[in-house]
Amino acid sequence: MNDTANAGQNLGELTFVRIYDAPRELVYTCMITPEHLTHFWGPPGVSAPLDKITIDPRPGGVFDTVIVDDASGEEYPSHGVFIEVVEPEKLVWSEPDVEGGMTNSMTFKDLGDGRTEVTVHQTNVPEMYRSPEAQEGMTASFDRFAAYVKTLAGS
Amino acid sequence: MASDPLSITFAALADPTRRAILARLATGGEATVNELAEPFAMSLQAVSKHLKVLEAAGLILRGSNAQYRPCRLDPEPLDNAVEWIARHRQIWTDRFDLLGDHLRLIQQQAADAATDTDQQEQEQ
Repeated sequence: MNDTANAGQNLGELTFVRIYDAPRELVYTCMITPEHLTHFWGPPGVSAPLDKITIDPRPGGVFDTVIVDDASGEEYPSHGVFIEVVEPEKLVWSEPDVEGGMTNSMTFKDLGDGRTEVTVHQTNVPEMYRSPEAQEGMTASFDRFAAYVKTLAGS
Repeated sequence: MASDPLSITFAALADPTRRAILARLATGGEATVNELAEPFAMSLQAVSKHLKVLEAAGLILRGSNAQYRPCRLDPEPLDNAVEWIARHRQIWTDRFDLLGDHLRLIQQQAADAATDTDQQEQEQ
């Protein structure tokens, strides 16, 4: 499996890229179909029960999931709203309840050889993007910088 | 402007001068405003303004000596920011892994089903 760069490009933003040996339509279908999503949405040790997934892939439609901790049975509901839906190329949804608001953009690129490149771009804390001083600093790689400063600080 | 701690950290780090100040404090330990202002073509007042933002974000601590108020780095907010990034990276790494497994499985099932159908057609 080709796992490429997942370093954040911009301040407070994260990008994750993965290439799959599967046609684009199939990968896209997996993302918008609860019967598929239930198999991969929850990381190991948790599950995403099928009966608690609601996906309405159109602008304004909901993208709701509940993650259940297998050990404790604790439930973590997640509420998303689709902003942009371009089948089978792009899904953009926001999670207004997460840490001050987070927008997820997922693109599906047909590599022309039966493979599909999936890119997830997350922007957090949208308020910060509205401030002029934040805008000007956006080009810096916060991700690497923070890790770098931490290394220097030796803690 | 957002007021949660992580937003304040990200906003404080958004400025290149403030990042340079933090990098200087990370390598050189404590420094006074004068020392921190040295590499920059800006007034002490401008540097002081940046230090106030960093202090408000909890990224630096300042000594109580009224005249010099030396600055040093407080790595805790950076810890939180690094932790946030690591957590989100882990979520998507796991998710991508599982999606890969799932795609392989359903494509295999589809291929098996096609083979079965072929065989049935041949038998008929």
